Amino acid sequence: MILAEEISPNPTADLWTLRLKQGIVFHNGKAMTADDAIFSIQRIIDPKNPKAGAAGLSDIDAAGFKKLDDRTFSIRLKQPFATFDVQLGEYANGIVPVDYDPQKPVGTGPFKFVSFTPGDRSVFAAHKQYWRSGQPYVDELVIVDFPDDTARINALLSGQIHAIDNVPFAQGRILEATPGVKALVANTGAWLPFTMRVDQAPFDDVRVRQAMRLLVDRKQMVEQALSGQGTIANDLYSPFDPAYAKGLPQRHQDLDRAKSLLKAAGHENLEVELVTSSVAAGVVEAAQVLVEQARGAGVKINLRKVDSGVFYGDNYLKWAFAQDFWFTRDYLPQVSACALPGSPYNETHWDDAEFQKLIAEARKTLDKERRAAILQDAQLLEYEKGGYIIWGFRNQIDAYSGKVAGFQPSRTGTPLGNYGFGAVHFV
Amino acid sequence: MIAILLRRLGLGAVTLFFVSLLVFGTTQALPGDAAQAILGKEATPARLAALRERLHLDEPVWQQYGKWLANMARGDLGRSLATEEPVSQLIAGRVGNSGFLVALSALIAIPLSLALGVISAARRDQAIDHALTTGALVLAALPEFVIGIALILVFATNLVHLLPAVTLLAEGVPIWRQIDQAILPAVTLDLAVIPYMSRIMRASMIEVLESDYVQMARLKGLSPRRVILRHALPNALVPFVQVTALQLAWLAGGVVVVEFVFRYPGIGAALVDGVANRDLPVVQALTLMVGGIYVLLNMVADMATILLTPRLRTALR
Repeated sequence: MILAEEISPNPTADLWTLRLKQGIVFHNGKAMTADDAIFSIQRIIDPKNPKAGAAGLSDIDAAGFKKLDDRTFSIRLKQPFATFDVQLGEYANGIVPVDYDPQKPVGTGPFKFVSFTPGDRSVFAAHKQYWRSGQPYVDELVIVDFPDDTARINALLSGQIHAIDNVPFAQGRILEATPGVKALVANTGAWLPFTMRVDQAPFDDVRVRQAMRLLVDRKQMVEQALSGQGTIANDLYSPFDPAYAKGLPQRHQDLDRAKSLLKAAGHENLEVELVTSSVAAGVVEAAQVLVEQARGAGVKINLRKVDSGVFYGDNYLKWAFAQDFWFTRDYLPQVSACALPGSPYNETHWDDAEFQKLIAEARKTLDKERRAAILQDAQLLEYEKGGYIIWGFRNQIDAYSGKVAGFQPSRTGTPLGNYGFGAVHFV
Repeated sequence: MIAILLRRLGLGAVTLFFVSLLVFGTTQALPGDAAQAILGKEATPARLAALRERLHLDEPVWQQYGKWLANMARGDLGRSLATEEPVSQLIAGRVGNSGFLVALSALIAIPLSLALGVISAARRDQAIDHALTTGALVLAALPEFVIGIALILVFATNLVHLLPAVTLLAEGVPIWRQIDQAILPAVTLDLAVIPYMSRIMRASMIEVLESDYVQMARLKGLSPRRVILRHALPNALVPFVQVTALQLAWLAGGVVVVEFVFRYPGIGAALVDGVANRDLPVVQALTLMVGGIYVLLNMVADMATILLTPRLRTALR
């Protein structure tokens, strides 16, 4: 919601008023108005064809839009949501004009669509009426698709392209040392969790979940699965949220306690199957490291590697013990994506009445301090009983040629400074 | 001759029909469908249902196949499930690119392996034959991606920046006007096929050179050059033609590894994408095309064999 000048709730946080910035012009030359913003949100939550952002915006009352003037409108929610502004700002929610045609994409960003060849490239031209003054600095942006990491790196080294995203973790240091190439390393809140279903044996016993979390040597996992490109985590997500529970003690590997927890649960010599797939860099590597680390406590993990078609196939979100990847989110948007019974990606099947009560309470609470206190109670529940093993936050590593500058590291976990091409220029 | 040609073409069409059935069956056996592949992590039930309906994936599979076959009979390849563009439009450029790469490789590989094979055979067990044999065996032992990456290191990134490391074709310019982009991929393919082709040529040449009629020609006092080029070579060509046809068909099928290393936009990488996306119309169109090329090249090779072999040639009359 960077295009909004102001976004404010009523005292009960179920009616939000938004005023758009002045002078924002679409790629087709039309000025952006409240009608466009309303159309865009309705388009996202269209029940007949829900877009990627729909699940996060399910609180919106579809009939509750009201245009107040050309730049101002209000949205009524079905229930209070104190951080609706953050939710609305999620990356899947962009503004398009009312006559939007996906065949001819139009938006308000620094580059406008020119052409798209599937599997090959997308071409964009500078949007001269872009609202950030002076930007963009380059005339043309070409995004080239590569089927292979080596080919992308070679293209960068030979000077055919100027930047690549998602450099393999192991190659970050090598590229940093290469003359003429710069690495863009960003600390992020992006995580690659193991997911245990809290409603399925053996993970339906909280002691088994606690034991599994104690198997992990987090530092070693960051070293080996991410080539050291990351920071350790504490089984909690959203480290950049102001309400993040910093005070909880860092969990360390404790094989003896893990063993005694498993013994108490009647699962000595536990044997489980872990479903893994190379859906993101570091995922399969982390699984392999876990197999080794678990051995120390007599836990046998059988690795089942499947291709992404199987992983996201009929068993998706139903695997008893699997993995996933997430970008950086604030706490409440993350909770509504993955930690409530109605969440679209509740892969751990986490369904805790006390937790839900706290979340509902926090969503109603506009006072930041009080909300943070409630959210920390909610995080304590996840810390003690949750189904995620969150062992680390990965760095985002991209690389660019010394001939260009302007890329800034971004905490979002999205590549190349959250695709900040508007600020990029030749040197 | 024409009757044989027609019969072979008919058999080829039947082969292709079975190929299409087989491909359809295999893609159905793969877990997951196009809608799940497109949505990936975002495959929530609501979004899956909406997309399946739009792509007609909710219809029974045999109905989907019947529809595809009926369209195919009318020359309509259908629309890609992943991009919703006509398949013909999607693969036209890639087919052209792959065709160009095969032609370029063949243009280098055929004369070169012919010459190398003949030289090796004529100088059998001499220094030059040993050198060529060792070179061929080393190259044959190296996988294509090793050869490709080595060529990139030498010619594109580390030593000299003589040729582009990957293929980035300018749009709207025919590929033969950007031939520099295809040189490294073509040379990589040549280094992969020339060892086989030249070894076959050498073996069959040696066999012919040991035959009685060559002995006779030599004893009559013909120059070695004339013996080899006029008398031995035509008879040694038959196995070479067959092997060349198979190697070219293999190249035309898209050498995925080479397309990956050089980002060459050919049909191999498109086929891999098609399978990963469970994009049935694209997979069908491409496998039929590759199957068709195998059928055609084999036919051409057989015809060439008939024309090169007097016994078969005269039997046709």
